[in-house]
Amino acid sequence: MAGQSDCQLSVFSPEEIEFVAEDELVEIVPNLRMDSLNFICGDYGPFYPQIATQVPLWLAVALKKRGKCTIRPPQWMSIENLTQVLEGERDSHAFQPLPFHYVEISRLLFDHARDDIPDIYMVRSLIEDIRDVRFHKVETNLEKFTASSVTCKNMSAMEVNIIRAFAGRALEAFYKHENEQQVPDTDGIQDRQLQIPNDRPKRNLKPR
Amino acid sequence: MASGNGSVSMMDDYETLISTTDVELLKRAWRNEKAAPEILQYETALIQRIKEQIQLAEQNVEIFESNGIGSLTVSLYQMDLDRSQFLLRSYLRIRLQKIEKYLFHILKTDDQLNRLSRQEQVFARRCTDDLGSHLDETVLSRLPDNYQSVLKQSVTSEEDDMVPAPRLDTFVVCKARQYLSGLDFEPEYSTEIAELESDLLTFACYKFIKKPFEKGMIDLV
Amino acid sequence: MYARKGYELVKDFASGEKGQLQHFNEELFNQVVDQCTQHYTELEALIRKMQEESVDVRETRNADHYGALIHHLSLIRNKRCLMAYVYNRAEIIRNLAWNVGLELLELPEEIQEKFSDSEKTYFGKHSAALQSYMADLDIDLNVDMVPPKDPYIKVRVLHDMGEGILLSDKTANLARHSMHFLKRTDAEQYIARGLMEELTG
Repeated sequence: MAGQSDCQLSVFSPEEIEFVAEDELVEIVPNLRMDSLNFICGDYGPFYPQIATQVPLWLAVALKKRGKCTIRPPQWMSIENLTQVLEGERDSHAFQPLPFHYVEISRLLFDHARDDIPDIYMVRSLIEDIRDVRFHKVETNLEKFTASSVTCKNMSAMEVNIIRAFAGRALEAFYKHENEQQVPDTDGIQDRQLQIPNDRPKRNLKPR
Repeated sequence: MASGNGSVSMMDDYETLISTTDVELLKRAWRNEKAAPEILQYETALIQRIKEQIQLAEQNVEIFESNGIGSLTVSLYQMDLDRSQFLLRSYLRIRLQKIEKYLFHILKTDDQLNRLSRQEQVFARRCTDDLGSHLDETVLSRLPDNYQSVLKQSVTSEEDDMVPAPRLDTFVVCKARQYLSGLDFEPEYSTEIAELESDLLTFACYKFIKKPFEKGMIDLV
Repeated sequence: MYARKGYELVKDFASGEKGQLQHFNEELFNQVVDQCTQHYTELEALIRKMQEESVDVRETRNADHYGALIHHLSLIRNKRCLMAYVYNRAEIIRNLAWNVGLELLELPEEIQEKFSDSEKTYFGKHSAALQSYMADLDIDLNVDMVPPKDPYIKVRVLHDMGEGILLSDKTANLARHSMHFLKRTDAEQYIARGLMEELTG
């Protein structure tokens, strides 16, 4: 019973990652007048037509769905920037700086605000390319996972999550092999438990 | 802030000062709890504040509804409320599930038990009784006397060798909130981890970072 | 081979689909329990033999000693298998309480019949413990299992649930194939039980 590992408790579902990403701020241009919203998660507004303001992504999407605003795609989603990032990703082993939630943010915007993104097909395909190059990098990076701690500069949430389970197990294995002597045997049969219970004094046996 | 007991509360004060919202703090607690292999200290004050804010927001939504405030506004407030409630419920749920999983381990030591809220402690005790009597009825009472312990393999076991415990050698993904030097880590892991740059994503063995993590210097991702 | 049955028992559990409960394997389970008794009988006999032969039971390392040791270890092995079997099933049972329903009768019959009697009792007691925790905190933890989207969702009823069903904000006639705009918190429990499906897009 002891020593079972369980990843189920510790992994974030894609929905949960998206939930967290929805708290990222984006700029919207409302087309209505509305008082400030004093939310538990913070105060937003007041909203005036044509006056840009910052709100969390979930709020932007909700307003957008109800036809109350346009969303301004973030600066990093411009074709110019994405082209540069893609080149950088291809030329270097390092991950280029992108928001931690770039995958989720862009997907939410593609799903709910397509008419607000100029050249959406180009943007989408650039992001897909960047994603692919980076995922490939993630895979090749796994080969370097031999140390007992590994740093991953600029890796995004989805990328972290994808390799979390795998890399976690792999690192555990590495760690175990390096420390084979110290790992307690979870079955408890091979160590000092070699005693027969009975109503008599204890005796000890040598491990086999 | 490198060491000493003051750092935790100083950190908390600092958080309050830079006006991080409670939801933000709850989200951090939720993420940490979700990613950590063992049960963490219950956030008594934070959860109390969040519950009050949720209650207030619920009342507000009701007032808005009865005052005929636009349905748009009401539904936006409702969404904000739903998000906070999800975090709160999920946080409490992950903790209960950890308690269920590591029941006997948690009840063994005060250090573990004291991490639980009062209600969680009541829950844990009840669960132990229930699971204990189920195991007893199904397995243990049918075994020879010397083998009937739920915690030990047999009476000759010197320690509790039947208790499922969280694995502290699990790897986690973490980020330091500030630069951490070797002094911030347990000396016994000095060969494994010597420093941690602030804000840099790092895969590490949970036990290496446990000490600075418990002091609030590191967040799990 | 000693402890083979115990191994089979664990394998029986592990061969099931992850998170799905198999029938409680009463027959194999009892065989393993019987083996434990048998190991103990033989262990005792060997110790008694050593005592009768006036051999120092504590220090002697003769054939009888190692024989007894093997019975002891086999017994422990079997115990661990039995415990693992029940303990891991208990974990699935607890997850049912979380994901399907807190009342035994809420569980689909094909799941109920896989429980042993003791497991039924355990499920009931555990659900009660969860419910009293929730009552104590005045918070329902069996909703909001996934992060929220819009508070209202569109659903289609898959199985007739009757008229005048009381929901948190209205009563509804949940006839088969009818579509509704329900609060997510109301609909979730029905969706989890396969009584409704969410309509997207």
